[in-house]
Amino acid sequence: MSDDNNTKKVHGTVAEYTSVDTLLDACRRIRDAGYTKTDAFTPFPVHGIDAALGIKPTKLPWIALAGGLTGLTIALMMQIWMNGINYPYIISGKPYISLPAFMPVAFELTILLASFGTFFGMWALNGLPKFSNPIFTDPRFDRATDDRFFLYIDAKDQSYDQAGAEKLLADTGTEYINTVVEDDSPTQIPKFLITTLITVIALSFIPALILARMRVTTSSKPRFHIFPDMDFSPARDAQQTTTLFADNRAMRPDVPGTIARGDMEDDLDFLTGIKMESLALQQINKERQLVALYPQGEDEEKPSEAAAEQGDGPEKSVMDTTPWVETNPVELTSQFVRQGQAQFNIYCSTCHGRDGRGNGLVHQRAQQIMASSWIPPASMHQDTLYSDQYPDGKLFNTISNGIRKMPGYAGQIKVRDRWAIVAYVRALQQSQNASLDFVPDSQQETIKTRKAEVEKMLKEQAEAEKKKEQERATKA
Amino acid sequence: MSLAIPNGLDNTKERPGQRAPLVLGDTTYHDITETVCRVAERPPGANWFAGFLVAFALMNLLGVCIAYLIYTGVGVWGNAAPVFWGWPIVNFVFWVGIGHAGTLISAILFLFRQEWRTSINRAAEAMTIFAVACAGTFPGIHVGRAWLAFWLAPYPSLNLWMWPQFRSPLLWDVFAVSTYGTVSLLFWYMGMVPDLATFRDRSKNKWRRMAYGILALGWSGSSRHWMRYEKAYALLAAFAAPLVLSVHTIVSFDFAVSQVPGWHTTIFPPYFVAGAIFSGFAMVLTLMVPARSMLGLEKLITIRHLENMCKIILATGSIVGLAYGTEFFIAWYGQVPEEQFAFLNRALGPYWWAYLTMVSCNVLSPQLFWFKKFRTTPVLIVIVCIFVNIGMWFERFVIVVTSLSRDYLPSAWSYFSPTWVDWAMLIGSFGLFFTLFLLFCKLMPVINMAETKATLAKQYHMAHEQE
Repeated sequence: MSDDNNTKKVHGTVAEYTSVDTLLDACRRIRDAGYTKTDAFTPFPVHGIDAALGIKPTKLPWIALAGGLTGLTIALMMQIWMNGINYPYIISGKPYISLPAFMPVAFELTILLASFGTFFGMWALNGLPKFSNPIFTDPRFDRATDDRFFLYIDAKDQSYDQAGAEKLLADTGTEYINTVVEDDSPTQIPKFLITTLITVIALSFIPALILARMRVTTSSKPRFHIFPDMDFSPARDAQQTTTLFADNRAMRPDVPGTIARGDMEDDLDFLTGIKMESLALQQINKERQLVALYPQGEDEEKPSEAAAEQGDGPEKSVMDTTPWVETNPVELTSQFVRQGQAQFNIYCSTCHGRDGRGNGLVHQRAQQIMASSWIPPASMHQDTLYSDQYPDGKLFNTISNGIRKMPGYAGQIKVRDRWAIVAYVRALQQSQNASLDFVPDSQQETIKTRKAEVEKMLKEQAEAEKKKEQERATKA
Repeated sequence: MSLAIPNGLDNTKERPGQRAPLVLGDTTYHDITETVCRVAERPPGANWFAGFLVAFALMNLLGVCIAYLIYTGVGVWGNAAPVFWGWPIVNFVFWVGIGHAGTLISAILFLFRQEWRTSINRAAEAMTIFAVACAGTFPGIHVGRAWLAFWLAPYPSLNLWMWPQFRSPLLWDVFAVSTYGTVSLLFWYMGMVPDLATFRDRSKNKWRRMAYGILALGWSGSSRHWMRYEKAYALLAAFAAPLVLSVHTIVSFDFAVSQVPGWHTTIFPPYFVAGAIFSGFAMVLTLMVPARSMLGLEKLITIRHLENMCKIILATGSIVGLAYGTEFFIAWYGQVPEEQFAFLNRALGPYWWAYLTMVSCNVLSPQLFWFKKFRTTPVLIVIVCIFVNIGMWFERFVIVVTSLSRDYLPSAWSYFSPTWVDWAMLIGSFGLFFTLFLLFCKLMPVINMAETKATLAKQYHMAHEQE
């Protein structure tokens, strides 16, 4: 080996040790001797060697931080752009840019890029991968990854001279000292590796090229379907034929015993509030019958009424020839009226008020904000809405189909419940003109006492007011 | 430099004022290299071949099933109204959970300076990667048109003109599991590089030397490299630790974000994570105990290692048991009738047998680890761990199937039955897992030699100071 050393470039000197302690001692010695371009090679990380050799801490954590921040930024920008700006997904009223929902992906990408920064940053800072290293030429160096410890002084060090370095190392309890010389093993990549690589790359293009060609090619032949993707669906339009069924009809007849939606309800008077037989007897044209069957709301609205901002119910005018059902078809019981009260309080009271005077919360709010297009809800207690002028059927129909600003409630409230509301409205109306006879005997006394109390209170208040006025007058 | 232990191979006895040795016998640095390298350098034995053939056949069964599924459609599974998430998701969650022990051992125990992890972390990390590979298979093929699964990726599509929906837990899953797989792979590979360099330096064969040479990236063991390497390892551990918690949390969101009774609960993230660690440790032990004796690693993977893992299984198993109880309590306390029904139905409904299996395997069987005899006898450990694995598979089955088969509408209730494809895929996924694991045992360093040597150096140092 010494013959070669004369002709080859010297890279440095290496010494071998058998234990961590001797290695650490030697490291301190050469550090104190002023060598800076030194390194130790150990099979496992030796703690305290950084100080012993004078190795500075790495800036790797900063690379990791930069990677993590990049990941976070990319993730947030990507999600905000894709789901909030470029292609806003409408999902049950959730905000387009929804940071809580974007957090999982943001977290994952932060970790991913921070890990990439750490992993690739570490190899880059270490100058790896590097498959040729002069120190590997020493056959004993194979044990650096097994159980031996090596200390190396680089020839580039300012105070390096071969003999001096060897002398210094010989003193440190080393087993073996060697000079690291240039690596003369061939540096070229073997030909077969290059050939294989080129072949693999070339072959890998083929599938992509076939796909690209298939995408642009024009051909009269049908497409080749690897996955049919439901392109050939046996679905047919209503009047077409099909071979799927023996009768060749694509449209299938109803299964015996099927009842179509809505066919179960046959009492039209009950459903519409209109006497259907009378309606049929009226010699009016067909369209009008149909419209009456399914009134649109504004149909009943007279132009004069719409002009008048006053929200009174439609009068029983000469124009209204509809044969309304006069009385509630459901038998009136206290339970039924209470049911109506519950429904009225749920659906009607928001506008009409719980007492039916047309001063519900929605109305109050409309007044507050001075909503210009607001039509005040009707009071239930005006004469025009009493049963002698406004039949139960008509009231029912108004609830079902709406009137003016009021939408139809047929969709929300069941038929029977709408009749119950009608019953309750009638009860509300009666309550305003009730005499004491309506009250059960047992409660009449209480009502009388209460009435007397209230009258007394009012009287006192009036007197107090009068007194004040007099005082003010005398003062003045 | 002798560190012989008076009790022979038993290092489970506590000796006051002294740390229990983690490497046994009269072991030197070179002995560690010899023990570990021999596993890969020896030609594989008959046992290995037999195991590999079985596993390989099962893996091919999985491949055939996947081909059949893609060709025919997902109808070959038992998934049908109302259980549209059947075994594929059960298997997915099961396998993702198995993976967690690897990262937990390598990252969290590393951060807590638990040195007993050193000789088991490598195999556990490998297990993580293979389990994630098995897990990834299932969502990949369950999307129906599997050849269009790439639509999940946020790429500028010229055909669709649209982007993925980032508010969906299913998309979070894609990011979580792929990030988890990638970071675990980096962590595993980076940890292996110094050991691959050992393999390279010991190779006599030119091809072997070249292959390991490329994999070792020219690692020389330089102290400067070690310094950056250790920093990088600590950083990756710090990143992987929250990652492992986040992954199963996000997997649990698949369920918790829905409104299905029995799924819509905030307990799912911690409960899933605990269950994942529980099943993962059970799988590590199921693999390591036989591997340890077959590969002759008793001195490095000691009874103390096994005992420590058993203690973790006992702890996490009890957490899982507590979670089962809490679910019932909240169902009662929350006063949501559907929720109450869902839990009564789990325990007493048509799947009572699955619930019973789950509770007896997951809650009762690990309680045996209170007894030292069970913690230190390898055969008993393996038996309990196999029960735990069965129990954890059933836990996912119970969660997925019972909730879906009976939700709000009694008219839509149905009983789920798997098909032969479901069975073949579950078995086949074990084939894939074991094939990869057996290859790993033969080709890669099964034990982290560098770190184990560092542990040994510490033992020497401590022995030195005592003298």
